[in-house]
Amino acid sequence: MKKIMIDPITRLEGHGKIAIFLNDDGGVANTYFQVPELRGFEKFSEGRPAEDMPQITQRICGVCPEAHHMASTKALDALFHVEPTSTAKKLRELLYSAFYVTDHTTHFYILAAPDFVMGPDAPPAERNILGVIAKVGLELGGAVIKTRHDNHWVIQTIGGRPIHPCFGLPGGVSKAINEEERAKIEEIAKSSVEFGKLSLKVFDDVVLKNKEYLDMVLSDTFTHRTYYMGLVDENNKVNFYDGKVRVVDPEGKEFCKYAPRDYLEHLAEHVEPWTYLKFPYLKKVGWKGFVDGKDSGVYRCTPQSRLNAADGMTTPLAQEEYEKMYSTLGGKPAHYTLATHWARLIELLYAAERMVELVQDPEITSPDIRTIPTATPDEGIGIVEAPRGTLTHHYITDERGIIKKCNLIVGTTNNHAAISMSIKKAAVDLIKPGKEITEGLLNRIEMAWRPYDLCLACATHSLPGQSPLEVTIYDVQGNELKKLSQGIS
Amino acid sequence: MKTLILGLGNPILSDDGAGIRVAQEVGKQLNDPQVTVAETSEAGLRLLDSIVGYDEVIIIDAVQTEKGQAGQIYRMEPQDFSFAKYFSSPHQINLATSLELGNELNLAMPQKITIFAVEAKDITSFSEKCTPAVEQAIPEVVKMVLQEIKQSSFESS
Repeated sequence: MKKIMIDPITRLEGHGKIAIFLNDDGGVANTYFQVPELRGFEKFSEGRPAEDMPQITQRICGVCPEAHHMASTKALDALFHVEPTSTAKKLRELLYSAFYVTDHTTHFYILAAPDFVMGPDAPPAERNILGVIAKVGLELGGAVIKTRHDNHWVIQTIGGRPIHPCFGLPGGVSKAINEEERAKIEEIAKSSVEFGKLSLKVFDDVVLKNKEYLDMVLSDTFTHRTYYMGLVDENNKVNFYDGKVRVVDPEGKEFCKYAPRDYLEHLAEHVEPWTYLKFPYLKKVGWKGFVDGKDSGVYRCTPQSRLNAADGMTTPLAQEEYEKMYSTLGGKPAHYTLATHWARLIELLYAAERMVELVQDPEITSPDIRTIPTATPDEGIGIVEAPRGTLTHHYITDERGIIKKCNLIVGTTNNHAAISMSIKKAAVDLIKPGKEITEGLLNRIEMAWRPYDLCLACATHSLPGQSPLEVTIYDVQGNELKKLSQGIS
Repeated sequence: MKTLILGLGNPILSDDGAGIRVAQEVGKQLNDPQVTVAETSEAGLRLLDSIVGYDEVIIIDAVQTEKGQAGQIYRMEPQDFSFAKYFSSPHQINLATSLELGNELNLAMPQKITIFAVEAKDITSFSEKCTPAVEQAIPEVVKMVLQEIKQSSFESS
């Protein structure tokens, strides 16, 4: 059997390894997607005070510390049986919305846009943010940097620290904002709305007006009919910070809707011998392997999935874009993996609009930011929508609040089975007997998982010490036939 | 001259926290209003946000190379990374691309950037301690960073 290795993936959080096994004819026999396992978090957290968890868990991931901080803080609310004040909830959601603006901006412009702006077959030396700026203009590059910079200021102002917030406490937050800060945040929120609109226009100009790209988005190669998961408010509208987890089936009908505390009734985890990372699936449907359809418990939670799982957006401009997207894609739910990039930009616009709503709320500068917990802690579960999927934190403590057990289901893990399936489908469709395997072809396979905005084992930050992308092809006996190192010069 | 000492890494992931440990130690030994000591778990664009506005930046990080020995120390400059300019670091875009982007967008980029890296052994186990060889290297890197600062202030005076 011939083997192609893609190791690690370019433009991706964390190191990944893709192995593509060819059959004797040169077609794809199977694909494996492996990530290194970070070991021992549960043990690391045992014996620590639960109040430390919002600080500790945000170190797990270098990409979305804010999401861990927030899920952890909500788990503490549940653990200490305390309801945060209305202002505290609004401040948390305001910070979280600013985080979404920065995170979605980064993904689209740094990771997704190069494929579309430069083209999937462009040489790697051009297919990056620098190429995008050279083509679309310095002005847009400046807007990307400014939006991120300004929203990091919002995160720092509300959260107390840049990058790793320290404001989440059981029952509320540690600090209020004053009128001067509020006014500046309002200005940033409004300019983020404009940036969200601009980004959707870029997507419209670059992708939707290009028939070749639109055909690729709608092609079977990048399509899977799965269940979809997302957090919704009481009206089944998208919410990143709070609500119930709603799952719809591949036809778009509600399959279940559950409160965070019930997550174990709905999810189970499948284990494969070739990877340490587990594959969560819908318990009541069951694990049927790496297949899509109504009989398979595989679900996805991505921006596209969240929009599929909800009945709409609460803010006007995002709702308008939501309707436009589904009318272009031929209705709900949309099963097109590449359309996730579009959904991400609609979420970006929603997050910015939500910032405006929250920062204009008269309560936002109130000093009433904390309900002091008085109950004995025992068990708490907190859920938020991380940009990369539903994020669940579950703690069990003794009566002093010391962690006895901790379980986390992080965003990307939810999508692990779907990512593996997307890789295989793209590889099978694109690598054909007798067809030369080029860099462009391999990039198209990468494009199948890029929409998931992977963040696996992303807690490591050491510098890359060796060739970042290598493709090795082996013959039936396992001898190396060909080695491709993308763009190393 | 405004200088930033930036420890990079994850303080709860064994050797990945080496850069942060060095920065903390340098912070304890320095008392210079012109020098800011900071730590971050971020890279890529967020790193760019951190370094804009400084004249000189010293970054300390962990590194894993193909044939490196745990605890080995490297002193590097941004051009040493240009081979990987167009690819990702483990996080977002890498340092070289971030720097080029900053120059391209006319941001106030530092005139001098030096990177000290320690060869890591374990960057996948949760622990606040580094492995023994890396632990031993930390005071050595601290000395090198302090020396670098001294040298720079001598050159600029």
